[in-house]
Amino acid sequence: MLIGLWAVPLGHAEVQVTDSVVVVVDASGSMGSVMAGTGRDRMSVAKDALKQVLGQIPDTTDIGILVFPTGNWVYPLGPRKESMLVGAIDSIQSGGGTPLGDYMKQGADALLKARKEQFGYGTCRLLIVTDGEAGDQRKVESFTPDIISRGITIDVIGVEMASRHTLATKVHSYRNADNPESLRQAITEVFAEVATGDASKGGENAFELIADLPEATASAMLESLSISGNQPIGESPSMRAVESPSPSSAPSYSGGTTSSQSGSGDEESFIMLLCGVLCVLGVPGLVIYAIVKGKNK
Amino acid sequence: MKAYRSIVVGLALGMAVAAATGQTKLFSELVGPVPVGSVKAGGALQVPFIIWGGDMATFYANGGLKTKPGTLFHEQGLNLNLTPGDDFIQQVRDYRTGKSPFLRGTFRMMGQASEVIGSDPRTKGVVILQMTWSAGDHMVAREGIKRVTELKGKTVAVQQGGPHIGMLDDVLKTAQLGWDDIEVKFFDALTGPDSPPQAFRDDPSISACFAVTPDMFGLCSDLNSVGTGAEGTVKGAHVLVSTAELSRSIADVYVCRKDFYDANRPLVRKFVAGYLKASEELVDKRAAHDAGNRDQNYINLLNQTVQIYTEAVLPNADEAHGLLLDCTFAGYPGNVSFFEKEGNLHGFEAFQKSSLELATGRGYAKQKMGLLPSGLAYKNDDFLKYLRKTEAVQGERFRAEAVLSEIEELSSGGLLDDRTILSFTINFKANQTEFSAVQYAAEFTRVIEMADKFGNAVVAIRGHADPTKTLIDLIKAGNAKGTLKRSGTRGNYRYALNGQALDLNNTSRLVDAIGAGDFDGVEDYNPRRTMQAALNLSRKRAESVKQSVVEYAKGRGIGIDMSQIQPQGVGIAEPFIAKPRSVDEAGQNMRVEFRLIRVSAEVTQESDFDF
Repeated sequence: MLIGLWAVPLGHAEVQVTDSVVVVVDASGSMGSVMAGTGRDRMSVAKDALKQVLGQIPDTTDIGILVFPTGNWVYPLGPRKESMLVGAIDSIQSGGGTPLGDYMKQGADALLKARKEQFGYGTCRLLIVTDGEAGDQRKVESFTPDIISRGITIDVIGVEMASRHTLATKVHSYRNADNPESLRQAITEVFAEVATGDASKGGENAFELIADLPEATASAMLESLSISGNQPIGESPSMRAVESPSPSSAPSYSGGTTSSQSGSGDEESFIMLLCGVLCVLGVPGLVIYAIVKGKNK
Repeated sequence: MKAYRSIVVGLALGMAVAAATGQTKLFSELVGPVPVGSVKAGGALQVPFIIWGGDMATFYANGGLKTKPGTLFHEQGLNLNLTPGDDFIQQVRDYRTGKSPFLRGTFRMMGQASEVIGSDPRTKGVVILQMTWSAGDHMVAREGIKRVTELKGKTVAVQQGGPHIGMLDDVLKTAQLGWDDIEVKFFDALTGPDSPPQAFRDDPSISACFAVTPDMFGLCSDLNSVGTGAEGTVKGAHVLVSTAELSRSIADVYVCRKDFYDANRPLVRKFVAGYLKASEELVDKRAAHDAGNRDQNYINLLNQTVQIYTEAVLPNADEAHGLLLDCTFAGYPGNVSFFEKEGNLHGFEAFQKSSLELATGRGYAKQKMGLLPSGLAYKNDDFLKYLRKTEAVQGERFRAEAVLSEIEELSSGGLLDDRTILSFTINFKANQTEFSAVQYAAEFTRVIEMADKFGNAVVAIRGHADPTKTLIDLIKAGNAKGTLKRSGTRGNYRYALNGQALDLNNTSRLVDAIGAGDFDGVEDYNPRRTMQAALNLSRKRAESVKQSVVEYAKGRGIGIDMSQIQPQGVGIAEPFIAKPRSVDEAGQNMRVEFRLIRVSAEVTQESDFDF
């Protein structure tokens, strides 16, 4: 059974492939406390660290800065304007609770919305600046893997954060705000494909690493790796199209309008039912890449 | 929605020509020695018609075979006598003798007659009007033939001398084949006994045949269906190419004698204006009829058409409506575009060139003797003050989202290859979006020309990326995290997942581990990010190729409909080689595929005319 959920992204004449970074800044009361050995408060250290890290991000990348607990987008997600960016960071003041999980979700949702608007294209990063003392630790722990599974890279700048904190261990990178060496850690360009030079890097043949993988396994792994859609964190994806189980049934085609908006009530309830069944069965159907077709020749 | 096209067009021609050998005679031999006379003055002017929906607009303008008071032609001061012209050879004889100054046929049929009429300056042909494009002619193939290129070496059945000769020529050009690459069996009739569709049923050695809509329904049951063998259909029979998408193949036209044209230019202009007015009104009435509105004028026309063509040919009014649905009117904007628009690949010059090549190449003519373009003053008040739909401009004909979701449906349903008319691939270097456009000039030319001929097909430009790095990053992420371990020596490795021995064929264990995040959270190896980067890369590749095609067309002065060309990034979802073993194999996945794809009519914008 093939199930194309949100399937291969739609393209459009004007579609952009813009990368986005959302910074979630913890400005809770605890960030106001003095950082041991520095004589400065955690917030000031965090701001300097943030400026340094943002300095490494390409100018073409869209940036957004979300501060909690105030909930203000001091810099709404959009193209980078250097002058406004610095002022936005300086304007942040600490005080209040620490609903980190909620704001991670809010930041990730903004990234997903941006990606949806460009039909699924573009790379997304969530940069979190925090001391890690979340008031909603459970949410942090449940949202983190969901955010990661959508293909969003999470980087953390920790300020006096415990190294065994969920964020430090589960995310893609961890930088220590008062460690200049760590902050200089490059945000490197991501390459999608192996190049001739890669194949024998370090005396190791890259292809050899996957040589033992059966083709079917490789395809299934890639499929399960695929992003599960641009719906908000914690929600199930909405369906785009459902393929009939028998691909041979030649369609008497009603055109390309099987999106959920145009679906009849019956179709939608069928889709919901199917979705439920798949979830129960644990079928990894929530994928962009509905199928990885091997056309080995 | 059944209809007949030109059922007996070329019938007589076919009988004279085909015999058993399928050899073509010179058109001049078919016509015989007919002296050129002058067109008789006074009385009703004789105008031939044939069996086709476009001729229904002529009946409508004339109020029947003789011009009636209160009709469009009467208002134009015309007095016409419409006469059956399905015997094209007889039409040419009457044209030479001066019995009628007009010829009625498809452009390519005019090409066959071009030498006979062009050899005398008095009868040289002026193409005065493009009536319609056909959307109701089809090439039906047997099971197993999915692409036009697969016709090579196969036997194709076609009516001699009729409208399908030009269509077959277009199909062969699409496939980059010549007439010698296939076996052609000619038949006298277009439909009924001794026709290509009948031969397709009777003779399994015939791999493909040409059919009009009712016969196509009979063989396949529908435009997008495959015959099951039930209800009279032929098992496996399907439409390989249809003028539904090859929409600029069959142009129906009127030709006028040069001497008559020069002496009666206002009359000719009024005839053309009257016809265009009739087509304006008919497209509205036809749409209203489809929407369920009963218009007595329209019903009268349908009944009158049945009467004129006789019930034996066109059984009832519904069939007459279907006949009209099988054609797309060119209208005033279409005629201006056909005769005057520069760089129009489906305009007069392009058709003249291909028609004359076909006529000499297939032995109908020895020399290329040209036709003349209408030369009518389209800015004249006879048109602008009289017609309503003169302002239409050619906009975007496709709805982008609908096109892309249809392509997606075809892809996930495994039907993309079935609907692909032609395709070619451009390869890229790793992580590159640049390519050498110069190297692909021939392919670009072909894509631009084919996209123009196949006006209702879309050009999907689908970018792809190689999955190797994503897979490698996945494995490396597992290694770095310690979830996936390898031990032993080359050729004899053992694997462990989360401390337990792992059989690499155990797909579900690996898939579950990916779902559980066992490969996530490593900075240097983030396979999800690599996969997204591949998706972005594939989109950029597609866009880069699209830009090159657009610039290439612009450089050659050819206008293209941007909405017909849809770039799309597929990422690593459809690798050519699912798990490459070398740089060379991986390189084959780094590509952009061009596909000319048949899409359903629903994804095109509604419009009155095509031009």
